[in-house]
Amino acid sequence: MTLLVLAGFSVVLTLLGFFVSVPAFKRLTILGLSLGLFALLLTWGRAEAFGPYQVDGVSRAFTLLALLGALWTVGLVRTRRFEFYLLVLYAATGMHLLASTKNLVLMLVALEALSLPLYALATWRRGAGLEAALKYFLLGALAAAFFLYGTALFYGATGSLLAGTPGEGPLYALALALLLVGLGFKVALAPFHFWTPDVYQGSPTPVVLFMATGVKAAAFAALLRVVAPGAGDALALLVALSVLIGNLAALSQKEAKRLLAYSSIAHAGYMALALYTGNAQALGFYLLTYVLATGLAFAVLSEVSPDQVPLERLKGLFHKDPLLGLSLFVAALSLLGLPPLAGFWGKYLVFTEAAKAGQWGLLVLALLTSAVSAYYYLGLALMVFQKGEAEAAPRPLARNVALLVALFLLLLGLFPGTVLPALAAG
Amino acid sequence: MVVLAILLPILFGVLLLLGAPRALGVLGALASFALNLALFLAQRGGESFAVSLPLLPGAGVYWAFALDGLSALFFLTVGLTVLLGALVARVEGRFLGLALLMEGLLLGLFSAQDLVVFYLFFEAALIPALLMLLFYGGEGRVRAIYTFLLFTLVGSLPMLAAILAVKALGGSPTFLLKDLLAHPVRGEAALWVFLGFALAFAIKTPLFPVHAWLPLFHRENHPSGLADAMGTLYKVGVFAFFRYAIPLAPEGFAELQGLLLFLAALSAVYGAWVAFSAKDFKTLLAYAGVSHMGVAALGVFSGTPEGALGGLYLLAASGVYTGGLFLLAGRLYERLHTLEIGRYRGLSHSAPGLAALALFLFLAMVGLPGLAGFPGELMTLLGAYKASPWLAGFAFLSVIASAAYALTAFQKTFWEEEGRQVADLGGEEWPFALLAVLALVLLGVFPGFFLQGLRPLAEAFARILGGGA
Repeated sequence: MTLLVLAGFSVVLTLLGFFVSVPAFKRLTILGLSLGLFALLLTWGRAEAFGPYQVDGVSRAFTLLALLGALWTVGLVRTRRFEFYLLVLYAATGMHLLASTKNLVLMLVALEALSLPLYALATWRRGAGLEAALKYFLLGALAAAFFLYGTALFYGATGSLLAGTPGEGPLYALALALLLVGLGFKVALAPFHFWTPDVYQGSPTPVVLFMATGVKAAAFAALLRVVAPGAGDALALLVALSVLIGNLAALSQKEAKRLLAYSSIAHAGYMALALYTGNAQALGFYLLTYVLATGLAFAVLSEVSPDQVPLERLKGLFHKDPLLGLSLFVAALSLLGLPPLAGFWGKYLVFTEAAKAGQWGLLVLALLTSAVSAYYYLGLALMVFQKGEAEAAPRPLARNVALLVALFLLLLGLFPGTVLPALAAG
Repeated sequence: MVVLAILLPILFGVLLLLGAPRALGVLGALASFALNLALFLAQRGGESFAVSLPLLPGAGVYWAFALDGLSALFFLTVGLTVLLGALVARVEGRFLGLALLMEGLLLGLFSAQDLVVFYLFFEAALIPALLMLLFYGGEGRVRAIYTFLLFTLVGSLPMLAAILAVKALGGSPTFLLKDLLAHPVRGEAALWVFLGFALAFAIKTPLFPVHAWLPLFHRENHPSGLADAMGTLYKVGVFAFFRYAIPLAPEGFAELQGLLLFLAALSAVYGAWVAFSAKDFKTLLAYAGVSHMGVAALGVFSGTPEGALGGLYLLAASGVYTGGLFLLAGRLYERLHTLEIGRYRGLSHSAPGLAALALFLFLAMVGLPGLAGFPGELMTLLGAYKASPWLAGFAFLSVIASAAYALTAFQKTFWEEEGRQVADLGGEEWPFALLAVLALVLLGVFPGFFLQGLRPLAEAFARILGGGA
């Protein structure tokens, strides 16, 4: 049903786009995404299956996150061309599909369905954006190719296209490795992260918000199905690399979006740690807090400037607009994992799982790098309070949403137990 | 009731942050103190008013709070110090709101019966302290914040690892303190777990090599002294060593006891030494704090019931007199716009009341028998003597030194000839002075009354370590 709503809106709006004014189109897109969300909630807890398309707990939880990201992006963006909204809608459809299938071929289709619109969105600003988008496209295509080879080998090794089919032998291991590489690109796990900083920096901020929230949510759902059952040490290596590279490289960044890009690599590492221990609940909760906090950070940045945001330019944001400043402060502290904000429980759950699994080496590494991250997150959080002339022309809606999300991060931090059962369905 | 006691100041704090008038904050501090006092009087050994609600179902984390002899004593002194601050610190409502918020978080920290919840409050209490420094601090505050946060956050992460390890390695079903105590960590892992805790708590104590954040923190804070008084209350390391680190990994503690005793004694003497040469009031008080916490830590590390009682009593009482002195320094700053000790001189001629109050606070700090500092210091040194006579003797030097620096500072400020004209105690300073003096005398004369609920805890603590009465 969710798929029908999203896909239906995509097709109808493609035709309508030529006749309807842009503001109306924006409203229609929001309506479509909201209806998709509504359909998702309506069928919560019920299994839906239609051939290889299967909606279960994992798919719902992760689609929910992806749709939230999409809605947020659409709400934030200021553009006069209807194609933007349409592309987001298409990508959202692809995300839902990716999260809702175990069939590897359908997964590949979904992966492309969500990636192609994003390639286009990344070029939204000509000039600087073009190079970023080209990089994104080339590496994305390469990732798709890896995924395709992986699928082929997977079929060869197990005789099945269903993710999670157990197998053995070198062929099976290679297949899993290739699939892991393909999806690793999408979630920016090191060492497949090279596109992330450039693309984040070069793309329009609302698009980055979408990449950092929606794409990650959908791709992690796929990773959970494909890789988690049998990845083993390869995944552990990626975890270690991601948290190290992401956090260390973020230390020296002078531009806010680049900084968040590197930190997102690190977060992908923490999420992969949850994946490694095979706990969908911890992963889901971490992703939820991450989506909210990162989304919040990018939303604030996009109100400061649609382009790049050198850290210097955030100085004085609090004095110019206290609500936005506080929101960024809360977002950074939540990403850092400081209680009582929600980000703490995300990290806590992941670390608990690691402790339960006896992964002391990874746990210590994760904690140490987490301590490193304190340095740059604090820099970001405190920047808004310093003296300076920040530019910001926030619209009331964006500001209210930011405040709402910041409050939600706090509430979720105080009552994490309330949402956990919903995520446990996977 | 405990939850109410925690929520009451938080509620008032939030109201003040939203812009309620300052008077409401004073009312809130008063109400909170009254409630804490009532709770203290109603507390009769064991764990009273226990509450336990699931926080993370399945993961064994509970919103668990209870009042025992230890938390009741801290409830009382925290409430008192905040009330003193609310009475006398000339700050705007929001600032006071942050102080109340922090009070609530500290009460939560002291009464938590679940290790994760304790960690939660331990970290969350950073935020009001951080905001006070951020909004009301001096010029160099950004650097002070960085130092403060990096020290504390870096310290907290090994602690988080230790928390996870305590449950995983000990095999306890939940993070509730009583379950964890029933499943302590044994063997080689105990050392690592203890180290994880010890690093975090040593920073908060603060012990000698990791105290570096403290002077900067005090120097850059608002001159009213309110933030400093709250900072004094935040020295929860000794408490946390007593309640969590040592009982949960006694074997780890046993291996490090010698080193810790040495560091504590060193902190005591080093702090006193620096305080002696301090040029301004805040540095003096900050290092006096380092010195006192060193003595308190020595008591707990001694592993004897007397030492633990003395250390905890000193921790509780020092909140009142050191906090009071910080607040007093704030009033002096308001009158003379400087904190430099050398620039005061002869204030007792024009302000005898102020001088008497200051003398009272200083003498309580020095440990004059009959005032708040004495019982704690005495018991601590008795306990420490049992554990290590040499180190106890060494640490005793700090007590002598404290008399030297405190009385020198007092003399330079209030005596000597050429008197500067300042206003004497007036207005809201009278209730502050009376309340502070009353509390210091009561704490000094009736330590048994305040310690009765604590004694069984201290004996249980010593039993875990294999000694005890």
